[in-house]
Amino acid sequence: MAEALLSVEAIGAGYRGKPVLKEVSLAIPAGSVTMVVGPNGHGKTTLLRCISGLVALEAGAIRLAGARIDGMRADRIVAAGVVHIPQGDLPFPEMSVADNLLMGAWLPPARAEAARRLEEIYALLPRLAERRRQMASTLSGGERRMLAIGRGLMTGGRILLVDEPSLGLAPIVIERIYEVLRGLKAEGRTLLLVEENLSRAGEIADSVHLLDDGRMVWQGDADALLERPELFEIYLGA
Amino acid sequence: MDTFIQIVASGLTLGAMYAVGTIGLSLVWGALRMLNMAHGVLIAAGGYMAWQAIAGWGLPAPLGLVAAMAAGGLLGAAVYWLAARFMFRNEAFENNIIIVTFGLAIALENGILKVFGGYPLAQPFGLEDGFRLGAVHVPWKNVLVVAVSVATMAAMAWFLARTRMGRAIRATAQNRDAAQLMGVAIGGVFAQVLAIAGALAALSGVLLSSITTLSPQVGFDPMLKAFIICVIAGLGNVMGALYAAFAMGLFEAAVQFFLGVRFALPLMLLLVILALIWRPYGVFGRREVRRL
Repeated sequence: MAEALLSVEAIGAGYRGKPVLKEVSLAIPAGSVTMVVGPNGHGKTTLLRCISGLVALEAGAIRLAGARIDGMRADRIVAAGVVHIPQGDLPFPEMSVADNLLMGAWLPPARAEAARRLEEIYALLPRLAERRRQMASTLSGGERRMLAIGRGLMTGGRILLVDEPSLGLAPIVIERIYEVLRGLKAEGRTLLLVEENLSRAGEIADSVHLLDDGRMVWQGDADALLERPELFEIYLGA
Repeated sequence: MDTFIQIVASGLTLGAMYAVGTIGLSLVWGALRMLNMAHGVLIAAGGYMAWQAIAGWGLPAPLGLVAAMAAGGLLGAAVYWLAARFMFRNEAFENNIIIVTFGLAIALENGILKVFGGYPLAQPFGLEDGFRLGAVHVPWKNVLVVAVSVATMAAMAWFLARTRMGRAIRATAQNRDAAQLMGVAIGGVFAQVLAIAGALAALSGVLLSSITTLSPQVGFDPMLKAFIICVIAGLGNVMGALYAAFAMGLFEAAVQFFLGVRFALPLMLLLVILALIWRPYGVFGRREVRRL
């Protein structure tokens, strides 16, 4: 196995003294797509927030290319190359689509290429080009999701963390978003996806990790998980 | 007609002063969720700095204004470096910072009292004479207050809308986590917001004292009215605060003219109560949803 670009080593974290993650470990090789699946409320989002520095660790370590990044400020972790696309309604609602995307090019390496990257994003996600002067608050749920992904792509980085890319979206929008993610995989980008829904894992993920009640309970490739229906029943309620 | 001109002239002057005083307070709340109780004393500090620069050191009036804004900016940044930066990640920040800035305000006010004394001073910044509009005498210094205020607001609007730093301030105000995930160092943004708010408070102090007098408590009444305006507009809504400031200035001028000066503040407070009942998130504000 290739050396991990990002490694999460036995981390523990929680909110207000309530543990959410318990000794979670994960190794993500460069150029791979890793998917973490699990029931709602079992720590998937907290895992990404720990990696991107929004939640402090209580135990363990996180390394990017061998260098520790846990304990660093969130903006410095972004500068180191970890780009986090959070779930939900997180674009800046009172800014235009173009200004939202330009916020993705805040840091120096991306800033110098902002104009070129903006055109690339518009080519990849033409809906955003049509709505470039529109306020983000007026976009539909699917468009907001695309805006969040576009903004993450503007930042560039070495690894992209995507939280619930398909959450609450229509099938046609999910298909479009996964088309974009497959394109990123084909370019050799390193992705960490978090999903409640496992149905997409087979088409994109090189490895799947099952997170239940804050612990990694299984890991392997997507096909192996699809052959274990009892895991679906126990952990994903399917 | 003369009554109308009188009310409009007084109201616009009051509104212009309130707007400059309020915009900083609103900006700070929007970006940091922080009620800065030192805002009033920063208003006074600006007035005294201009007085010192013009009357004490003999600098030209425009340089006095610049010196006042620089001093206000430094004091605003000091509020961040001495207090807010140690606290803003704490869950109880919104409550704790009120007490801390209240303490800073008392210390700074006593410092001003010690250096300049409590006797009211005449602000040398301003213009003499005036002109007549119908039967109404309009002092040039009131026109200057409105002109400086409008120019400042236009500059602020341009800064927030068009500059990279302005975009970072708006992003941080709208979603602190998302701004950090774009690589924005929010501590630096907070320091700049407090410095800008301090400079605007100082400017407000110079304008205010140019049409009244200068005393260590000169900022208390404008700070109270700035809070009133912020609540009516919707906390953190900068453009709403501008509209509300001019509306409140005109309202106050009308009340003072028709009912008397003593009714102005009680009626403004009544408006706050009505606004909070009718639209608890402010006339121009939006309902705030907090995810737990």
